[in-house]
Amino acid sequence: MPAFCYHRPATVEEAVGLLAEYGSDAKVLAGGQSLVPLLALRLSHPEHLVDIGRIDGLAAVDDGPAGFTVGAAVRHADVELSPVTGRAAPLVAAAMPHIGHRAIRNRGTVCGSLAHADPAAELPAVALAADAEMVVRSASGERTIPAADFFLGYLTSALDETELLTAVRFPSWPRSTGGSVAEVSRRHGDYALVGLAAVVGVGDGGRVERAALSFFGAGATPVRVTEAEQVLVGEHPDPAAFAEAADVVTKSIEPPGDNHATAAYRAHVAGVLTRRCLAEAAGRATGGGA
Amino acid sequence: MRESLMGKYVGARVNRVEDKRLLAGAGRYIDDVSVPDMLHAAFLRSPYPHAEIGSIDLTAAQALPGVHLILTGEDLKSRTYPFFGTLNFPRFYQPTFWALAVDRVRHVGDPVAIVVADSRRLAEDACELIEVDYEPLPGIATVEQALDADRAVVWPKSKTNLHYQASERFGDVDAAFAAAERVIVETFDQHRHSNQPMEARGIVAEVDPSSGEMTIHASTQSAHMVKWCIALLTGRRPLRRVVRQMISQRDHTKAIFKGMADYLKATPAMVAALKEMAPVMLKQNVTNVERTKAMNGAFVGLMGRDPKTLPAALAGDVGGAFGAKTAVHREDVAVCAAALELGRSVKWIEDRNEHLTVGSQAREESVDLAVAVRHDGTILGMRARLTIDSGAYPGFPYGGAVIAARLARTMFPGPYRLPALEFHSRIITSNKATYLPYRGPWEIETFVRERMLDVVARQLGLSRAEIRRRNLIGDDELPATMVTGPALDVRMSARRVFEKAMDVTGADDWEKTRAEAFAAGRRIGMGFATYIEAAPGPPGYMDNVGPGFSAMVDREPINAVLEADGTVTLHTQQVTHGQSHETTLAQLAADQLGVPMEVIRISYGNTRTAPFGLVGTAGSRAATFASGAVLLATKGLRDRIVDLAADLLEAAPSDIVVEDGRIHVAGTPSIAVTLADVAHAAREKGDEARGAARGDEAIRVSELFDGGAGGWSGATHVCFVEIDLDTGLVKIPRYVVVEDCGEIINPAVVDGQIRGGVAQGIGAVLYEKSTYDDQGQFQAGTFMDYLIPTAMEIPDIEIHHVETPSDVFANYRGVGEGGAIGAPAALCNAIEDALSDLGVRITEQHLPPARILELAGVIPTLSPSR
Ligand SMILES: Cc1cc2nc3c(=O)[nH]c(=O)nc-3n(C[C@H](O)[C@H](O)[C@H](O)COP(=O)(O)OP(=O)(O)OC[C@H]3O[C@@H](n4cnc5c(N)ncnc54)[C@H](O)[C@@H]3O)c2cc1C
Repeated sequence: MPAFCYHRPATVEEAVGLLAEYGSDAKVLAGGQSLVPLLALRLSHPEHLVDIGRIDGLAAVDDGPAGFTVGAAVRHADVELSPVTGRAAPLVAAAMPHIGHRAIRNRGTVCGSLAHADPAAELPAVALAADAEMVVRSASGERTIPAADFFLGYLTSALDETELLTAVRFPSWPRSTGGSVAEVSRRHGDYALVGLAAVVGVGDGGRVERAALSFFGAGATPVRVTEAEQVLVGEHPDPAAFAEAADVVTKSIEPPGDNHATAAYRAHVAGVLTRRCLAEAAGRATGGGA
Repeated sequence: MRESLMGKYVGARVNRVEDKRLLAGAGRYIDDVSVPDMLHAAFLRSPYPHAEIGSIDLTAAQALPGVHLILTGEDLKSRTYPFFGTLNFPRFYQPTFWALAVDRVRHVGDPVAIVVADSRRLAEDACELIEVDYEPLPGIATVEQALDADRAVVWPKSKTNLHYQASERFGDVDAAFAAAERVIVETFDQHRHSNQPMEARGIVAEVDPSSGEMTIHASTQSAHMVKWCIALLTGRRPLRRVVRQMISQRDHTKAIFKGMADYLKATPAMVAALKEMAPVMLKQNVTNVERTKAMNGAFVGLMGRDPKTLPAALAGDVGGAFGAKTAVHREDVAVCAAALELGRSVKWIEDRNEHLTVGSQAREESVDLAVAVRHDGTILGMRARLTIDSGAYPGFPYGGAVIAARLARTMFPGPYRLPALEFHSRIITSNKATYLPYRGPWEIETFVRERMLDVVARQLGLSRAEIRRRNLIGDDELPATMVTGPALDVRMSARRVFEKAMDVTGADDWEKTRAEAFAAGRRIGMGFATYIEAAPGPPGYMDNVGPGFSAMVDREPINAVLEADGTVTLHTQQVTHGQSHETTLAQLAADQLGVPMEVIRISYGNTRTAPFGLVGTAGSRAATFASGAVLLATKGLRDRIVDLAADLLEAAPSDIVVEDGRIHVAGTPSIAVTLADVAHAAREKGDEARGAARGDEAIRVSELFDGGAGGWSGATHVCFVEIDLDTGLVKIPRYVVVEDCGEIINPAVVDGQIRGGVAQGIGAVLYEKSTYDDQGQFQAGTFMDYLIPTAMEIPDIEIHHVETPSDVFANYRGVGEGGAIGAPAALCNAIEDALSDLGVRITEQHLPPARILELAGVIPTLSPSR
């Protein structure tokens, strides 16, 4: 591992001050579950690491009127084990068991996963499906970025090098809405070959009012397949509709191929997951919320 | 009688002695070794599969503070001897090469320079500052490319990438094929994968600054092998100094020659082997002059070496090897050369990226097979052609690929009646990392044979059990001889083991079960594989590898020592690395001596104290060889103890009983002496009672065991799968192994060995692949790319033991490799069974989910074939 200068700021101000000072020579260190392997392989050579793990204000999970907010120092496991998550952010709760192994969830952070913007990771797709907002600070102030504008490319987010993602905010979970996360991975705990975070909102007439199909492992960023979502809106949430949506997904999605699976495989499984997740999400929506 | 089975420990699930240390984190692995003033090494490695090295600029790296030494391949020419081929076969080319690349790199990860610095980090920093000009050459990544005359040659001196060819016929092959009612033809492929022990490689070359003497701490399967190979390849001096030294130590030189003469006089088998090999050796000496020069230079260098400067080697706890540590690696030689140059200790610990890239790769083989059968399933003969991709640099001291080829040919009939076999072998060289032995290096024979039996059964409309029943050799036909040579003695139980496996699993009713499941929309399958394993094989088995091999390796030494304090130490050349020898050998010794196990200590891995043997722990040999040697040596020790105790107790030796470490006259247990009393008495009595005891040892007994009757292990694996054709995921709800390894010393250890092997076999099929692209670029350098199965992927493995009793001495046989031999075939057979209604025929071994869906026709076929 190359040498670096280690900083452990106590406040957000201090942290963003360091980022402003060192710019592209600095990297934020959160749970280290993605960054440290890159350092060990010498694929990243930051001169400064800014460890945000001890900043008090960032360690909270909050369920308020503004939604479900997860601070940047909050570990996956904290969210997974929090009694609030399942009710306030069921899609996040559904994603949690799929993220690596318990040991990784004990260290890795929710915001780190979003900032890292790995297209095969669960949480970016979840954020996209749930219309989450990123709360971002720099020395020059705070801004919020909708998930739809946040993931720009492979391991590339809208954050610039002086910005810290301080929290992610999931809007309050609507009524009569169900979510489902499913994926296929080679082994337990691996990143998904392809996965899906799906949301189905059912209106009073029993028809689909809102659908989100957000795939991971299916492109350079998490991918919403809006054509398939539109197929569902206004339909009864039944197997025929799900199968039609799945067909659209398989035909329109353009996933990558690699040594773990071909593009054709991923497109096929994306369709399979569409059927499975929609059935589960719709069941949850009509069965009373989450 | 089966005396040993009646012991207190042998046969029991005794807790592992080593666990107390290892589970508490108190093991001493290679990275735990730290010596004063130690420096750290890192290697600069080639990013290219194949390239000419233009210039190497070290200036910036050398200027980095904390860097002590950088050596390149050019530098090693005056400091080391090159690696050379040690084996002799016709039509076999063995390249000569240096520890670091000279002029050319031949695979991704080929070491180009070694940097020694104050810390590993600094050494790696310096590697990044070295500038190498590479002129890329086309890479050889497939057999087709290797054999394409228009493509590059990996070793220009050989003019071809085909480095080994052999054709042999056993039995009347033409008659067999002429009599055939059907000839069924298929080609099977197995992909490159890798040993991947938990502990990768590593070495600490400790140099005593006052004397310059070197002690090598190694993570190895054989300490003596490390010592002698490093002695052979390092410490190069100009020839005139070597000669001067030889003259100045004339008596020593003479003694070496006399030693060799005595050895040959005492070993007529070796003389015969040398005679047999002489024409081949002569021819190789003339045609491969480079090798002749290298070999002569290294051996003369070794003879002209002051024996006081020979290194010692130490192995501590070894975190697995699976064959990878049977070799002395290029990095080992570079590290030792650097340490000798600096006169300081140097440590190198291989990281996982290095281990995946260059540590040890194996198994990339294919077989073209034709089987001559009758309609009733009787096998009349086979024609097979084996091709192995051995990578660029062969292993040292022997190339794994040629050994695997020789063993696969020998084992090809397995436990079946095979009257005729034609077997061709080819080994090609490519721009890939070194091929080394991997747990059951000849496993391809079982994969191919068991896969083919299913194919043949289906073609003939027989059940898969039926075709095996028709051809498996039964008890009533034993003893028998395999058409390739090895003898099958009456303990060979494959047929009985197979029947028990069918019983235990209800396999004969399977077709019905499967049909019902298919009807219910569940895609289930069952497959089995039967094999025997030469663990260690019949007497002389190793001669199937090459002339003289048995004479060389079939001599297992044990020194049994009664220490002054009444404890017993067994010195062995075995280097246990997961096989639990500290437990099993102690069980045998404790029962034999009549003492509690705690009294026994197993001492291994230290060339200063271990008796000499180059093999170490490999080839599932220890169960027979080391066990037998322990029984012989502790029997001798017990006799001496009883004699001395008889004196002390004023009784006849025949009346003496040893129980729980107390020695008394039969019938009067209250008057007893202890081992410490006997030790004291021995030391009082002096030389005659003490054997070859040294220092404060009380009695020492040394024995050599030649393997006795040897014998076979064997098993039938039965694998059940359920496949999800939406996703291609394969579940293994049940996995059964029925095995026979003779008398079991410790069932828990046997079970552990089997489970580990099966896990690796499952890994090969569903997860593990050392992927190269078609240019030879390596693509599986992390555990995100190279997938090892975890506890979540491996099912509970149900194990049933068959113990075939016998009066044979040391009726214990190895089980180290079998699990990994049987599992790939059993799993692939089960997968094909689950897809049988789709007409799927599986001819490859690696079946990740995308491939399953391709085979089933769910998605278009785009995966590369290998
Ligand atoms: C074996 C293994 C398996 C895994 N499996 C999965 C999986 O299945 N699914 C999955 O989603 N993840 C998986 N992960 C990754 C894990 O979830 C990571 O922890 C996570 O993706 C990154 O979070 P982190 O806190 O560890 O970030 P770090 O590793 O500390 O940082 C990652 C990157 O994000 C930047 N960063 C981090 N936090 C911030 C911030 N607040 N503001 C700005 N930039 C920031 C860092 O500078 C760095 O570039 C796995 C990891 C391992 C080691």
